[in-house]
Amino acid sequence: MPKPKVAFYWCASCGGCEEAIVDLNEDILKVVELVDIVFWPCAMDFKYDDVRKMKDNEITVAFINGAIRTDEQEEMANLLRKKAQIVVAFGSCSHLGGIPGLANFWDRETIFESSYGKGCPSVDNPDGIVPQTVSKVPEGELTLPAFHNTVKSLDQVIDVDYYIPGCAPPPYLTMKAIVAILSGELPEKGAILAPEKTLCDECSLNDSKPEKISIKEIKRISEVISDPEKCFLAEGVICMGPVTRSGCSEEGDGKCISANMPCRGCFGPPPEVKDVGGKMISALASIVGLEGEENMSEEDVEKLINQIVDPAGYFYRFSLPTSLLRRKRMSNPAKEDRYNG
Amino acid sequence: MNPKSVIFCCSWSSYPGLQLSESLYEDPGKQNNIIISMCSGRVSAELILEAFNNDAWGVMVASCPNEKCEHDANYKTRRRIILLQKMLEQFGIKPERIKLEWIDKGEAAKLKLAIDDFSNELRKMGPVLSIN
Repeated sequence: MPKPKVAFYWCASCGGCEEAIVDLNEDILKVVELVDIVFWPCAMDFKYDDVRKMKDNEITVAFINGAIRTDEQEEMANLLRKKAQIVVAFGSCSHLGGIPGLANFWDRETIFESSYGKGCPSVDNPDGIVPQTVSKVPEGELTLPAFHNTVKSLDQVIDVDYYIPGCAPPPYLTMKAIVAILSGELPEKGAILAPEKTLCDECSLNDSKPEKISIKEIKRISEVISDPEKCFLAEGVICMGPVTRSGCSEEGDGKCISANMPCRGCFGPPPEVKDVGGKMISALASIVGLEGEENMSEEDVEKLINQIVDPAGYFYRFSLPTSLLRRKRMSNPAKEDRYNG
Repeated sequence: MNPKSVIFCCSWSSYPGLQLSESLYEDPGKQNNIIISMCSGRVSAELILEAFNNDAWGVMVASCPNEKCEHDANYKTRRRIILLQKMLEQFGIKPERIKLEWIDKGEAAKLKLAIDDFSNELRKMGPVLSIN
């Protein structure tokens, strides 16, 4: 019997998800024994045409990481969808939009201006040359993929069967998913292949959490030497544990928490949370300035809340494109600008 | 164009008065969608974001004044709304599109005025910019 065929592809990502595959260590040899890797641009020499030449549904499973930022990524996502029976959104960026999704606080024009224009102090570009989708040179035409105004998650572009969350996904979840797919023991379509409880539920620092938390002052992690035995929220440091799915570490405790860092939310929301930012606002508003709340003036409250410097960036660090509001409203985001070829 | 707004009213303080106020039921354009909540504390930030996701021009929360909320939730509501306003600004949505009003029992006239003022402000601002 021929081996099942597996493809890996990266879109707008940092390469960490590719590392996460390599982090399977010796287990990757077991995977290679069981499957044929037919496409993995980061690690092996395949061409897009190799995929184009495949029959529809020829690939058993395609793991796609990264958000969708350019035409090329959208085209490859569509191609892999056609050629694969199962598509897995692998990692925070394809699952939720991820760090590249934070670009949705700007649009193409403002991003190009800060990268190639006067907005970038280290760029010397007196002629204001910016990338074009088509450039004519004596030898012919050079092309670049078009750069979208808005970053999207994978399921905003193609139909996705399963999700493996995390920045990057922990190897134990990846291995579990591969085993489930190869043995045909698949959960319901659309399932997120990770536990459903929140990180707070599983956190060992819970024992240190007081009955009632009241934050008098918000502190950034860089401003404190945090006690590794103490709940971050009780110390006034914003931790995304209350609104984030657990599972980043097999042992239960969060990976970042074990490194004495607050949870940043890369696993995305548990099933009952619709919008991470909204939920986090509700959670924080209940504990910030709780003690003596009846004696606080409007100005006192504003002063306290203003200590949260960048709420949208902090709460939607990994999920802006899939949040309820999806992106910043710009003066005219849909307009065709001079960078659109 | 009539502004599209969502008004959350407390079931125990502002809403009973509103029911008694005939004039409020004369809302021909149905521009104000009034939703009764068990307490302003129950109006989560997610609910307000959902309203904006459904093309609301603005959202008003009518909450019991200081010391009047039986659950002490109005203080939390105040903090929630201030934080939400700050966050919405980062999305290019004016903080003035969310309004918290302290309305006690028997203050239907004040609530009606507040809704009218809010509608007028929203009319001046127009709809939230589209992202599509």
